[in-house]
Amino acid sequence: MQRSRALWAGIAAGVFAVIPLLTRDTFALRVVTEAMMWIGLAVAWDVLGGYTGYLNFGHGAFFGLGAYTTAVLMMRGHWPFALALVAGGVTAGAAAVVAGLPTLRLKGAYFAIATWALSRAVQQLALVLEFTGGPDGMRLPPFLNPMFFYYLMWALVTAIFVVLWILLERSAFGLKLQAIREDEEGAMALGLRPTAIKVQAFVLSTVPAGILGGVYAYWITFIDPASVLGDLVTDQSVVMAVFGGLGTLVGPAVGAVLIYAFKTFFWAYLSEYQVLYLIILGTVIALSVVFLPDGLIGLMARRRIKEPAEPEPADEDSQGLREVAP
Amino acid sequence: MRRGDETEPGLRPRQLFTEVPVLWQLLPQAVLDGLLIGGVYITVALGFSLAFGVMHIIDFAVGEWIMLGAFLGYYLQRWTGLDPLALLPVVFAVFTAVGYVIQPVIHRAVSGRRGNPVLMGLVFTFGLMLAIRGAGLTVFGFFSHSIPSALSARSLFLEAGGLFVTVPAIRLFGFVYAIGITAVLHWVLRRTDFGLAVRALAQNRDAAGLMGINARRIGSWVYGIHVGVSAMTGVVIGSIFSISAQMGGDYTILAFFVVVLAGMGYLAGVPWAAFLLGLVQSLFLVYGNPSYTLLAVFAILYLILLVSPKGLFAKGV
Repeated sequence: MQRSRALWAGIAAGVFAVIPLLTRDTFALRVVTEAMMWIGLAVAWDVLGGYTGYLNFGHGAFFGLGAYTTAVLMMRGHWPFALALVAGGVTAGAAAVVAGLPTLRLKGAYFAIATWALSRAVQQLALVLEFTGGPDGMRLPPFLNPMFFYYLMWALVTAIFVVLWILLERSAFGLKLQAIREDEEGAMALGLRPTAIKVQAFVLSTVPAGILGGVYAYWITFIDPASVLGDLVTDQSVVMAVFGGLGTLVGPAVGAVLIYAFKTFFWAYLSEYQVLYLIILGTVIALSVVFLPDGLIGLMARRRIKEPAEPEPADEDSQGLREVAP
Repeated sequence: MRRGDETEPGLRPRQLFTEVPVLWQLLPQAVLDGLLIGGVYITVALGFSLAFGVMHIIDFAVGEWIMLGAFLGYYLQRWTGLDPLALLPVVFAVFTAVGYVIQPVIHRAVSGRRGNPVLMGLVFTFGLMLAIRGAGLTVFGFFSHSIPSALSARSLFLEAGGLFVTVPAIRLFGFVYAIGITAVLHWVLRRTDFGLAVRALAQNRDAAGLMGINARRIGSWVYGIHVGVSAMTGVVIGSIFSISAQMGGDYTILAFFVVVLAGMGYLAGVPWAAFLLGLVQSLFLVYGNPSYTLLAVFAILYLILLVSPKGLFAKGV
């Protein structure tokens, strides 16, 4: 099953790569570029949220840190974009180490609260500091080349996906994370150092967010605390991962495409009711937890195990079938 | 800055930055303000801490319950013309019922087969928070309101040894209200059969079940009380400050700060943590830069988590 999922992911990457050859419509390109960005954000969130079982309710803060670092270095320091982008990722990762060291020692509830509080603190910091432009935000030099950003985003998101797939599905690191999620004391007894591994996972989850934030800043050319540090980035990443399926890579990606498509249509046709979108997001999260604890992917996997050719995951999932069935 | 400003109590404190004697004169007022507002923070965090202690639910929606309660108070006051503070029992009753009805859904979310029930509860209340905030913005709009109370315009002036303090009557009420709620809750938990059942449930869920305690019913009541107290506090906050549909997040974060300072689930630590937070905020407002207040509080929280992760009293879980 893993192999077929990897195949589908490869096909999807191929489809995304040829879309610009089929259409020159800048609006369509823009929508697909942003859809890819959300895939990257949702998949990165899931490293900690799904694989490790620690909910980061401040994902937007790391996205925003990357965006602001890139913008500040380009505008105030006149750094080239590529270097500033790397610095954005490094800043997000460094912030994850600082925020993770005290909180990842504790149970997940502390971490969830601390990251949520952190995102508020970062918002406040961007509002009061001088060099971030405060509430007015920052403008970056316009670089109006949709194809450049399309393929940059495509390359980055593909790279993020491949790196995470190798680390989480094809190496011991992913198993360590899942061991910690299932039984932290047990993992410790086996000689793992949970805090260090969790901090590594946190960095692995936030560096992509920071880099994507940096690309977003240069692409949109205008950032302010409300757009890149607002709660919406976190809220959407969470709902995409939870709705798509926690603890998988394909699930959050599928969730990201569906939720982002829905959001685009919703904002295009019902823009007067934007706050309704929050209600829908919240309701989708809450209902997913109650009725779809394994997300859309779990739904598909459950149907798949009826075929006898898949003995490997049957044990876990058949149990789920019994309990989830109303 | 002129000399005459020193005796003018109405002046905004932070404009008097440079004069040392004035700063000393402001100290009693700042401490008093901090204690009064810290009192209200007790009730912001009390229900939240109770719900965590008993059911291990982190309620991200706590600020939204405060917001909804505040708006119910606002509309009830406009319809009936009664003083909002007289409407507190009505708000409490309505929202206790709301919490009682919602708890079974949360229970279902946290008792699934997914590895970590606390996290599923977190995701669920996070979704609840978004939905309520969206609903609040849709129905109530983006404007701020205030809930006028008869006490709003009154103040007490105290003077001793050349130092003045002003005690707004409504803030004093908020303080008395918070102490009262805390005392009632303490009495319920320590002196009634219901309280005994709640404490048993908090200690050991399975053993409590074996002793004939209906965990679901008690859980529903506890969540109901949490929602009711939070909503009632919303009305008090609305008559002290102002209310808006966006206010929820600010109070959720306050509740988080207080509960983490106190130690998660350690109810007896909540009042002291709330007073400390109120004092820090009010002193920082006078002697520091007000726009850095949240950051200062966050820095304190970070240090506490670093040094004593189980709260000031090291009694959290």
